[in-house]
Amino acid sequence: MKDKLHEQLSALVDDELTGPEQALLTKRIGSDADLHQRLSRYQLISDTLRNQLPERIDPAFSARVQAAVMDESAQTTAIPASHRLAALLKPVAGLAVAASVAVVAVLSLQAVREDAVPLPAVASAPSSSDYIRAATTLEPIIRPRTDKNLDIYLVNHNEYAINRGMQGMLPYVRIVSHEMNRDSKE
Amino acid sequence: MRWLPVLLLTAACPVIAQETARQWLGDMSSAVQGLDYDGTFVYLHDDKLETMRIIHQLGDAGERERLVSLTGSAREVLRNNESVTCIMPDSKTVMVGQSRPRKPFPMVPRDLDSLEKYYRIETAGDDRIAGYLTRVIAIIPKDAYRYGYRFWIDKDSKMILRSDLTGNDNRPIEQVMFTSLGIGGPIPDSELQPSLTGDGYTWYHQDDGKATPEHAGASPRWIVRRLPAGFGLTNYQLKRMRPDSDATEHMVYSDGLATVSVYVETGAAGADPFTGLSGMGAMNAWGTVVDGRQVTVVGEVPAITVEMMAESVTARAGALDD
Repeated sequence: MKDKLHEQLSALVDDELTGPEQALLTKRIGSDADLHQRLSRYQLISDTLRNQLPERIDPAFSARVQAAVMDESAQTTAIPASHRLAALLKPVAGLAVAASVAVVAVLSLQAVREDAVPLPAVASAPSSSDYIRAATTLEPIIRPRTDKNLDIYLVNHNEYAINRGMQGMLPYVRIVSHEMNRDSKE
Repeated sequence: MRWLPVLLLTAACPVIAQETARQWLGDMSSAVQGLDYDGTFVYLHDDKLETMRIIHQLGDAGERERLVSLTGSAREVLRNNESVTCIMPDSKTVMVGQSRPRKPFPMVPRDLDSLEKYYRIETAGDDRIAGYLTRVIAIIPKDAYRYGYRFWIDKDSKMILRSDLTGNDNRPIEQVMFTSLGIGGPIPDSELQPSLTGDGYTWYHQDDGKATPEHAGASPRWIVRRLPAGFGLTNYQLKRMRPDSDATEHMVYSDGLATVSVYVETGAAGADPFTGLSGMGAMNAWGTVVDGRQVTVVGEVPAITVEMMAESVTARAGALDD
């Protein structure tokens, strides 16, 4: 039963779960702390496999983690390496454990690095005044002088929105659009 | 029994029509992502008209796309498989975010089956756009919590040539229409390079950290109690939206077509929190403060949907005790 649940969870992370199955699992995640924790772990594993970890993590380390997980996969099964989480979690239970260990390692490293290096993962870290300038330029896209995070949320949300469907270029059309900018200055 | 085949054929017709509409949508999605094209289109929203150019290429390294405003300030968005770069010459700012892989639509037929509980999908005749003959496909919502769509799809290439996003009164809220379009390569690499170098600009990198050590594996802390039918959680992450900010919980809800993001900041809300409605075209955002935390809901859905969701966000029992 648990295995089936974990399979569904990895399918959710791979965006392969839909309809009633998805609704049911989502509901269950909401009421099951363990399951939710597992979802977070799977998410991180999935990101590792897809090389989508934040820049603050040493990319080489992420690659090594991925290579280690793949190696383990090769040793234990003949299933070819895949970036799909489900493909990786299904073959053997031990693999999931290996992946969990990898995640713990990534997290530990991140914790160390957070202390050791300045937070911004940028070529030149913006000063706080720079940040305000940057935010202000995007604020008019929705509404100025309300919340400086709104612009960031908008760009971030776009990436999830175009994933889902066929709005195609529309999300970025809104960002390029500048008529709102003029409005805000009026 | 000569009437039997006729009867069967008649009964099957709505199903065939539906399958055809689905097929058009699937083909359109593949074309938008898989074709090389360079075109100019107009974007109409809030009684305003703008002109933009889009250049798209699918190469060995995946999709590359460049979107440039041809009216007013020459803003540009460049997107590849790794990042999204927004260049804003009016304010001399460059913003870099992380891109996520696009998925074709429809992903699988069962997605469409569940979609059709909340939308009607149908063909709506033929039309001509930018000199191309198109088939019109309409997606009509069955309730007031989501928008409708109309797509004009080129009969040959299956490229989308016009798209309308419609409100509850069936009037367009946003329209995008190509006025000229060249399909097929080769696209010179120079066309996919930004026309601006960004030198002397303020570069701002969105920190898209997926999980912070202190919160990774944490229990869910928030619940959206009121969701429109069919919306389910499709993604959940804890991330730092800015290098200097606390982590933000990001929950993504979707009905398979419309997508809504719920952001809950883990730090205390500032003295001037964002509250109420904010919108542009089809995009709406609703801000509120729950248990001292800033909650922001953003999505291409009607205002009532973001409001309902934001105002029903509650902390799970005991979740904020730490």
